[in-house]
Amino acid sequence: MEFSLQTEHLTKLFDGDLPAVRDVTLRVQPGEILTILGPSGGGKTTTLRLIAGFERPTGGSIKIGDSVVADANHFVPPEKRKVGMVFQDYALFPHINVEENIAFGIRDQKREGEKQVKRMLDLVGMEADANRMPHELSGGQQQRVALARALAPNPDILLLDEPFSNLDTGLRAQVRNDVRDILLETETTAIFVTHDQQEALSLSDEIAVIFDGRLVQVATPHLIYNRPVNSQVAHFIGEANFLPGEAFGLTASSSLGAVKLFHPKSGPVQLMIRPEAIFVGHQEIGNRASIVWREFYGHYQRLGLELDDGSELIARTGVDRFFQRGDNVWISLQMPALAFDQSGDSTAS
Amino acid sequence: MMLYKRYLTLFVLTFVLVSVFAIPALTDESDALTIYSGRNESLIGPILAQFTEDTGIAVEVLYGGTSAVANQILTEGDNSPADVFIAQDGGALGALAAADLLSELPEATLDRVIDPAFVSPDGVWVGLSGRARVLVYGPETLEAMALELPGSILDFTGEEWRGVVGWAPANASFVSNVTAMRILLGDEETSQWLGDMIANDVQSYPKNTPIVQAVIDGEIAVGLVNHYYLFRFLAEDPDITAALHFFLDGDPGALINMAGAAILKTSDQPDRALMLVDYLLSDDAQEYFASTTFEYPLVETVEPAVDVPSLDEIESPDIDLSDLDDLQGTLELIEESGALD
Amino acid sequence: MEHSGLIPTQLRRYRDRGAPDLHLQFGNRQLAQLVSVVLVAVVMTPVAFIIIRAIGAGQEGIEYLLQARNLRIVGNSIALMVTVTFLASLIGVPFAWLTSRSDLPGQRIWLVLGLLAMVIPSYLTAVTFTDAFGPKGALQQLLEPIGVDRLPNIKGFVGACLTLTFVTFPYVLLPVRAALLYSDRSLEEAGHSLGLNRWQVFAKITLPQLQPALAAGMLMVALYCLADFGAVAVMRFNAFTRAIFLQTESFRMDKASVLALVLVAMTVLILMLRSRVQHRGRHYRIGTGANRQLQTVQLGKWRLPAMLFCGTVVFVGVFIPLLVLLDWLSGRTLTNPIHVSMTELLRNTVGVSTISALTVAVAALPLALLALRASSRIDRWLVNLAYTGNVLPSIVIALALVFFASQNLLSLYQTLPLLIIGYSIRYLPFSIGATHSAFAQINPRYEEAARSLGLSARAALLRITLPLARGGILAGLALVFLNVMKELPTTLILRPIGFRTFATRIWSAYDEAFLSSIALPGFVLILVSGLVLIVILRHNDSLH
Repeated sequence: MEFSLQTEHLTKLFDGDLPAVRDVTLRVQPGEILTILGPSGGGKTTTLRLIAGFERPTGGSIKIGDSVVADANHFVPPEKRKVGMVFQDYALFPHINVEENIAFGIRDQKREGEKQVKRMLDLVGMEADANRMPHELSGGQQQRVALARALAPNPDILLLDEPFSNLDTGLRAQVRNDVRDILLETETTAIFVTHDQQEALSLSDEIAVIFDGRLVQVATPHLIYNRPVNSQVAHFIGEANFLPGEAFGLTASSSLGAVKLFHPKSGPVQLMIRPEAIFVGHQEIGNRASIVWREFYGHYQRLGLELDDGSELIARTGVDRFFQRGDNVWISLQMPALAFDQSGDSTAS
Repeated sequence: MMLYKRYLTLFVLTFVLVSVFAIPALTDESDALTIYSGRNESLIGPILAQFTEDTGIAVEVLYGGTSAVANQILTEGDNSPADVFIAQDGGALGALAAADLLSELPEATLDRVIDPAFVSPDGVWVGLSGRARVLVYGPETLEAMALELPGSILDFTGEEWRGVVGWAPANASFVSNVTAMRILLGDEETSQWLGDMIANDVQSYPKNTPIVQAVIDGEIAVGLVNHYYLFRFLAEDPDITAALHFFLDGDPGALINMAGAAILKTSDQPDRALMLVDYLLSDDAQEYFASTTFEYPLVETVEPAVDVPSLDEIESPDIDLSDLDDLQGTLELIEESGALD
Repeated sequence: MEHSGLIPTQLRRYRDRGAPDLHLQFGNRQLAQLVSVVLVAVVMTPVAFIIIRAIGAGQEGIEYLLQARNLRIVGNSIALMVTVTFLASLIGVPFAWLTSRSDLPGQRIWLVLGLLAMVIPSYLTAVTFTDAFGPKGALQQLLEPIGVDRLPNIKGFVGACLTLTFVTFPYVLLPVRAALLYSDRSLEEAGHSLGLNRWQVFAKITLPQLQPALAAGMLMVALYCLADFGAVAVMRFNAFTRAIFLQTESFRMDKASVLALVLVAMTVLILMLRSRVQHRGRHYRIGTGANRQLQTVQLGKWRLPAMLFCGTVVFVGVFIPLLVLLDWLSGRTLTNPIHVSMTELLRNTVGVSTISALTVAVAALPLALLALRASSRIDRWLVNLAYTGNVLPSIVIALALVFFASQNLLSLYQTLPLLIIGYSIRYLPFSIGATHSAFAQINPRYEEAARSLGLSARAALLRITLPLARGGILAGLALVFLNVMKELPTTLILRPIGFRTFATRIWSAYDEAFLSSIALPGFVLILVSGLVLIVILRHNDSLH
């Protein structure tokens, strides 16, 4: 078994205004955590529902493990796919208690099944709450029960639809880490859906970015952040400065003078410069700029910079140096910039 | 919450159990004799029950107004499940006879009834009991309102009777009475009278009994009814103050009518149907009509049980009962008058 | 989407992001469709039959309809409907306000007693009113000392209005009370802070908020008036239902069908009006409002008049019927020579009501599923057509079925199944509405979760959806049970020969003035109805 999941040209079109999925081809390796990231209404959840078997694809195919679960001729119903699902609102069955919820998907209701329920309760740390009803639980607890319920039948793949979006911000990071640990411990292949880039970047082995039903880029968080394939991805993920420039192979001229490029380009381009790639100092290196505003966050600070020609940039630096509004500073780039040509593409030309 | 759920479950269980128990009660006995009765259940029901007890023949009875039931049989035609039709007046029987829906009765049955006026000329129906149209009145109410009993039914259109006369316009006996009026007075005058009565705020009741009850309660002063209803009240409570008034010679308000029975041609058990008709003409049954419903028995061997003028004594208008078969015409006349509205 | 239900419920629909295919959600979708087609065919039979008969009557039918007497029927029905709707609102709105927003003592008791007026069958209320308010009735006796010798007879328009007003005012009370409980309090507080006094706040802020609820309630009353048979029959007021009944009883098919068609047309008109109002209006719910602290208005010196108002309404609507029945129990009227055991009546009534309620509940399932996941125009049409019962007053269904069976379906003529079909057509919408709204309140993710945990579509339906919808389905069941139990015209026309229920017993006893034999069946009927009402109210309370 090479991949846990493979989709080929997966397509789903709706009559109404539901988000469509267009020609999505994905591969997920065993034990991998993949995140499908994209704006709301972009077809992320539809993709997940197609994999789960809640929707029938209009075209393309889905393969889970070695078996085709959906193509033009086959359609395997969700209950036969060995796919677990954690829903955005958890969807714990309200009429049965925690233990019964977890046991719901376990075929063997005898001793082995009971052991499995115990294991799951233990895994998510809910042993003490086995007999409570879902509505008596906090959001975080419900989340953990939902995870245990989905994992209990040992699914081949676990699908998680915006699993953290209903949690308080304070709780979110903690629960996210817990979930990651559980997934790693159980060596589960997992596919997350989220519109939260922070979550995607921190959690995933790979990120698949979907815009308007189309898969735009699949890569590690590092590459997605640093080498977005087009300006749309660049805008969506992280903060970035965009400066107009003229490219000549691996360099470009801009307000910052000559800038090194990752990929060779030619002609008019937009240069993407991440705020942390800008070095800000008092020594006269690089270009002169003045500080228009400053935001202090404790472990870093954001600076609004204005160049002599009026261009504005945002920089993010450590807190070892002190700046304040009105300071004249010197800025330089610590790494090559990514250039997008007029069609928004960043790949080498 | 849990308790409430358990409560609901219990509720459903009870439901199901009750229905299961109910089902045997709901299955019908298909070999029972089917009777369509235009007579009220309270009048004919007990003697039919007695018939079942005496003969072991089960009966199923559909009760309704005589003309309504007759119309139902006419509509059902060949599909009618009815074996026997019991009517409250001759007109309805005549209408079914005219439609050729009734089978001929044997001589022996017809001969039980002495007065040929109460037997079908074609021998397809036979009278069971006789009744007189009368006025029931409350002496106290009349006195309080300073009213005197009128000489004729036609007088009730006078202003002094506004709102205090009761009738049952849908009742077959009343319908017969109107038919008699048509014969005596003509359609135009009858229609006029009906209209004038309504204009005079005559009070409508569904049946005769409520009229008598209303007179007793003082709700109305007088009511147009059959003679025997008051006796049923008197039998239970001799102290009630209401009395009967028989109209005088030749008045359209005076009419002897009869209840009768016939066997349908469509009957699938004519023999047992005949047993029922003969039973209703037996001395026992006639005695029941005489002493329990206070009607006129129609066989020679039984006499009326209450102090009423004999059939001969009542000067019935000069009409033949078999002339009373233009049921439809009368019904239309009544309907058009607005009496049913 | 709940139609004609006793209790309007708030529809909390889960917004469904995906559009799950029905065959995935509920197993065999074709089966649900097929069953629905059959059900809809049965439901549509009466209308089709009446239209065919009415058209068959042709010129004659039109002439009949245009007779002055029959045109008067239209006028009568409209006059009754308008008057009762107005009077019911006049009672319902203050009653709703007093039992929701004021410090009236015993609010909950007043409310339940008020609602009880609605479950007393209209014919029973009418029969007891004719006695109590008759020329020589209890009211006259009460007034005798001040020289009232006799009262004018209330039979006719006055009696019909009086009866229907007291039977229907809860249909205004319920939605208006719900709206009062759940309307936005902060708006009123804002009004106060802007310097409006209490009355100005009520007139300018509260009342406009009540409009949708009031309109919905009033339309419900109007529909009830058009369809009611009991009150107008007892009061001998020539409205449509009574005229149709007289023609049906005499088996005059064409005349009955022509009148019925006009009545149905009027009902459709009212319903169209209603759906327009509902589109603008909000959904509402009833309940104790325990989930929100409501600021109550101090009645002060108005407390006594308020008590007097509620007391009078409840006394007339509930206690007069009960007291009159009690009086009759003493047997001052002619003894009915026909004895029918209470056991037989109870068994027949409860039995046929139970079977009908269960039949309707089962029949409603596929239609409710279809309604929930309608994915094609055909589905939506099927569901809409299944609601036909809403525009058919019972008398119309009964007359169509009795004529249809007597001509074309003799094996069902005068049988229990036909009676049950008659009830079912009329009350199927209640059950579909209740079941649908119960389903709609269930998060569709539950079922998907069950599917991904290895359950087949059918198993998911049985283990998740049905258990979760059980409360709502049972409340619908109870509602149908209640209505079938009270149902008069259908039972009179469609019952098998010799089959007696409380309703028919009360009717025939009234017909022959055996008032004392109305008493016991009347009491039991009111008692059972009261119990069922409590079950329904409990369910509605448990929603929040």
